[in-house]
Amino acid sequence: MPALTATREDLRIAWLAALAVTVHIAESALPSPMPGVKPGLANVITLVVLLRYGLAAAAWVALLRVFAGSLLLGTFLSPTFMLSLAGTLASLCALGAGYGLGRLWPAARLSVLGLSVLAALAHMAGQFWLAYAWFIPHPGLFYLLPVLMTAAVIFGVLSGIISGAMLKRLEI
Amino acid sequence: MTRADFIVTLGAVALLPFLYVASWGNGARGEQARILVGGKEYARVPLYKAQRLEIPGALGVSVLEIKDGKIRFIASPCRGKQCVHSGWLALSGEFAACLPNRISVHVAGREPRYDAVNF
Amino acid sequence: MCAFPRYSLLATSYCLILLLATSSCSKQEASLYQEQILALGALVDISISGVEPERAQQAASTVADDFNRIHRTWHAWQESELTRINARLPGGAAFPVQADLMPLMVRAQELSRQSEGLFNPAIGKLIALWGFHSDEPIGPPPDPGAVAALVAQCPGMDDLRLENNFVQSRNPAVQLDFGAIGQGYAVDAAIEHLRKLGIENAIVNASGDIRVIGKHGARPWRIGIRNPRAPGILASIEMQGDESIVTSGTYERFFEYGGQRYHHIIDPRNGYPAQGLTSVTVLHRDAVTADAASTALLVAGLKDWRRIARAMGVEQAMVIDEQGTVYMNAALARRIRFEITPAPKIEIIDSP
Repeated sequence: MPALTATREDLRIAWLAALAVTVHIAESALPSPMPGVKPGLANVITLVVLLRYGLAAAAWVALLRVFAGSLLLGTFLSPTFMLSLAGTLASLCALGAGYGLGRLWPAARLSVLGLSVLAALAHMAGQFWLAYAWFIPHPGLFYLLPVLMTAAVIFGVLSGIISGAMLKRLEI
Repeated sequence: MTRADFIVTLGAVALLPFLYVASWGNGARGEQARILVGGKEYARVPLYKAQRLEIPGALGVSVLEIKDGKIRFIASPCRGKQCVHSGWLALSGEFAACLPNRISVHVAGREPRYDAVNF
Repeated sequence: MCAFPRYSLLATSYCLILLLATSSCSKQEASLYQEQILALGALVDISISGVEPERAQQAASTVADDFNRIHRTWHAWQESELTRINARLPGGAAFPVQADLMPLMVRAQELSRQSEGLFNPAIGKLIALWGFHSDEPIGPPPDPGAVAALVAQCPGMDDLRLENNFVQSRNPAVQLDFGAIGQGYAVDAAIEHLRKLGIENAIVNASGDIRVIGKHGARPWRIGIRNPRAPGILASIEMQGDESIVTSGTYERFFEYGGQRYHHIIDPRNGYPAQGLTSVTVLHRDAVTADAASTALLVAGLKDWRRIARAMGVEQAMVIDEQGTVYMNAALARRIRFEITPAPKIEIIDSP
C-alpha cells in the first residue's frame, strides 16, 4: 500500500490555495463601487501557480478557491457563487489558451502581465455573460459592460504587476 | 514584458472605446413601446423580447412585430398601409400610427432622444 | 461584516439598473406629462413640463377640446361651419358669420397675399376634384379639361371681402379649404390656451406641426425631423422660448394611379401636384405662418423658395429636392444637426 505522502511541491500548492481562499474572502468583505468590480487579487495566486506549477495546478487552486471560499462565506450555489464560477472557468480557459499557445509558438509567449490581462478580461466576460443569460436578461445591463471591462483591464494590469513581483520573490 | 504582452494589453485598451460606443453611443435605443388605441394606452411592451402582437382597433386587427429591440407594423386593415411603410422603430421618440385603425406605437427609452418629431 | 457578501450581484445589479432608470428622469426633468389625442384627423401630442400632473392633465384635456372644436368647425368636407360658408360663397352676396371664425380667414388672406398666391386656401374645388376631400384618397387623377377650367377661373383669397363679421366672394369659383393651415392654427390656439392656464413649458405636436414654449427642465426641447426618404430621423434641432417648426411633404398624403404618384399639395397656378421639391421645413414663431409658408415654398419650387420665404418673413427654412439634396439658409444650418450617415448633400444659402 503506497503511503500518501505530500511532496514539498504539494505543500507549496496547498499553501497557495489556502492563501487564495483567504484573499478571496478578504476581498469579498471590501466594499465595491459597482457590483462585479473587484480587484481580483485572488487571481494573482492563480497566475503564480500557473507559471510555477503549470495549468493543472492553477485550475485546481482556482476552483478550490471558488468552492471553498463560497462554502466559508455561505454563498455556495447562490448567484454570487455561480458568477464567480463562470468567471473563473472563463479565465482558466483564456489562461489555458494563452499559456498553451506560448508553449507551441514561442514568439507569441505571454509573460505574467499579458496572461493577467487576458484572464481578467475573460473573467469579467464570463461573469457578465452568465449575469445576462441567466439572471438579468435586460438590455440595461449592457450600460454597465464598458465600465466593468475598463475595471477589468486596469485590475488585470495591476494583478499582472503584483504577480510578477511575487514570482521574483519566490524564485529567490 | 514580451511583445505578445504588449499586443494583448494594447488590444484590451483599444477594445474599450469601441465597447463604450457600442453600449452607450446609441443610449437612446428604446426599451419599450407604448401602444395606444384611440388615444388610450392599450399596452406597454418591452422591446427585447421577440413577439408578435395582435391589436384590435377601430377597423380590425393590426399586427405588430417585435424583434431585436425594434417594433413595426406588419399588417393593418387600412388602405394606405402608411403604418406598415413606416418600417422598424427603434429609437425612443420614434412612432408610427395607423390612423384609420386608431392605433399608434411609440418607442420609449430611459430618456427620450426627442421630445417631439416633426414630419 | 459578514452580511456584506450576502448582497448578491443580482440584487445590486437590479438596484443599479433601477437607479439608472430613475435618476435620468428625476434629475432636472422633474416632471413631464404627455398625452395624445386624435383630432383634426391626426394624432396630437401634448407634452407639458414643470407642473403637477393633475394640472397638466387638466390643461391637456382643455387643449383636446380646442382641437376637437377647431376640427368640427373647419372640416373641409364633413358638415361644418366651413361647409356652410362654402355653400353660401357662390351666391356672391355678403353674409354674416360668427365672430370667432373671422381671425383664421383674415390671417389666411394675409398669408396668401404675402406668398404671391402660392399658398391659396381658395382652391377647395381643385382639392376636391383631385379626390383629396377624403380620408383615404384613391384617385384616379381628374380630367385635364376639368382642371384647366377650374384654374382658368382663378379663385383666390383676394376675391373675398372680410369685413365686420361679413363674408362676400366676388368669384363664384372660390371654395375655402384650410387643410394647409388648420393644424398650425389649432397648434397656435392650443399654445395660447396653455399659456392662459399658466403653463410655461410645453410642446403641442399635431402630426408633426410643432410649437414649443419654454424648456424641458434645464435643457431646450429636442425635436427630431423625420427623414422624408426613409424611415427614421433625418436631423435634430433644439428649440426653446417660443418657436414653431412645420414640415410639408409630398409623401404625407397621396394616391397612386397607373404607376404614378399624385400628392396632395396642388399648385394653384396649374392645378397639378407641385413638382420639384419633396419636403419643406420652416421655422417661425407661430405655427400658422410656418404652416402656410411650408406649403407655399413647396409650391414655389427650387427657383423661387427663397424669394417667397423672404416675402412671408421666414428666416429659417430647409427644402429637399427629388434627388435628396438639402438646401437651407445659414441661420438654420447653424443650429440643425444631421443624424444620418452619410449626411445628405447639403447646400447652404447665405441670405434667406
